[in-house]
Amino acid sequence: MGRRLKVPMVLVAVLFTALATAAALSSATVSFQSAERDGARVAEVLIGDTVVMVLRTSAGGYSPVERAEIVANRLRSAMGEEMEAREVAVYPVTSGQGVYVGKQLIVAVYQTEADAHKATPTALAEMWRDNIIRAAGLEVAEPPADAKPPMEEAPPADGKPPAEELPAEEPVEATGEATPEAEPAIDWTGTAQKWVPIFSLETEGAYVGAAQIAGPPSQVDQVRGVAELRLNFRNLGRIYAYVPVRTISTNLDRVQGVSVWATGDVQLVDF
Amino acid sequence: MITAKRAIAVSLIFGLLAVGLVAAPGLGIALGDILRVGGVSWLVSQYSDEIDSFLTSALGEREAAALGATKVVPILSLGGGGYIGAAQVVGNPENVERVRAVIQVEGRFGDFRAKVLVPTTTDQATGSPDRARGVGVSAVIEFRI
Repeated sequence: MGRRLKVPMVLVAVLFTALATAAALSSATVSFQSAERDGARVAEVLIGDTVVMVLRTSAGGYSPVERAEIVANRLRSAMGEEMEAREVAVYPVTSGQGVYVGKQLIVAVYQTEADAHKATPTALAEMWRDNIIRAAGLEVAEPPADAKPPMEEAPPADGKPPAEELPAEEPVEATGEATPEAEPAIDWTGTAQKWVPIFSLETEGAYVGAAQIAGPPSQVDQVRGVAELRLNFRNLGRIYAYVPVRTISTNLDRVQGVSVWATGDVQLVDF
Repeated sequence: MITAKRAIAVSLIFGLLAVGLVAAPGLGIALGDILRVGGVSWLVSQYSDEIDSFLTSALGEREAAALGATKVVPILSLGGGGYIGAAQVVGNPENVERVRAVIQVEGRFGDFRAKVLVPTTTDQATGSPDRARGVGVSAVIEFRI
């Protein structure tokens, strides 16, 4: 009888250990959630239990929560590969600043979002960058000079999200990176080519044709389709923007360095 | 008494009609085509910078802006040589700067229709297009004319 009980107990113990291990590993996962701060609905992006970004404004037709989902997906994808602190960086983008992991844009910070945080786009982007580095447990390879202390390593004891709502100037000074960073070098000169489907964002992913894309082989390999975005310009014309993307979805996960060389479609009805 | 303005307007109308009468049967060109090509040319010259900013901003808001230089140039039809629209090209800054136009070559393979878009360093759509290296098309603009 005693032996009959021992086997299930050992199994339960093993199962419990496995679950605990899984829970510990999942603490570093990326997620997003809706929250209320200062009486306003906002969206938070978390690494584990730590809030690394708070999105307060809508942009490009996306609500804060929808933006948080896009950002979380990008961050999750970037963290799936081995990531180093130096790869998490801030570079200028058109009309704002972008937080990157390697060449992958995680989030772009524009003036509207920065204003909502009472910060500048650069300060806010750098704060989010530092939060990602800290929450992901990445070690900074090059510590700042001894004149100033490095980033605040110790997590706050009061359990509040670290530095998220602090005045923007504090993390900026703490990074010790005064020199402006150059835009990441994107190679547009590759000649690998392939045909991929064009799908329309307006009709929720319906295929509307095919596109021949070209670029560096490593970048072209990542492209799964071309998103077609239709825009009206002052009632003077219609613009078809083509965005090579990694996934066939309404989230525009652009692959940089790849452009469209040709488009094609099948004529279904001949009049 | 015909005023000067009215005389100019009447002359212009008869002139355009004359062009249409001569061009249409003889060259296979419609008056509408002539006006359209001229209109597109004017629109591209007037709005290229504004369209470029509009596009970059629209994609930027969706966090999908291209990292590279961009520019809006006319699309020329190979053979016809006329302006048929505009395109935003993207690539390395030094290469984008050299682009003058995008030449569109249309082909048909059974039921499959393809439009090849070739960024070139000239604004002439004759002979074989001189492809600008390291540049591709990121958007196509069709004007309502």
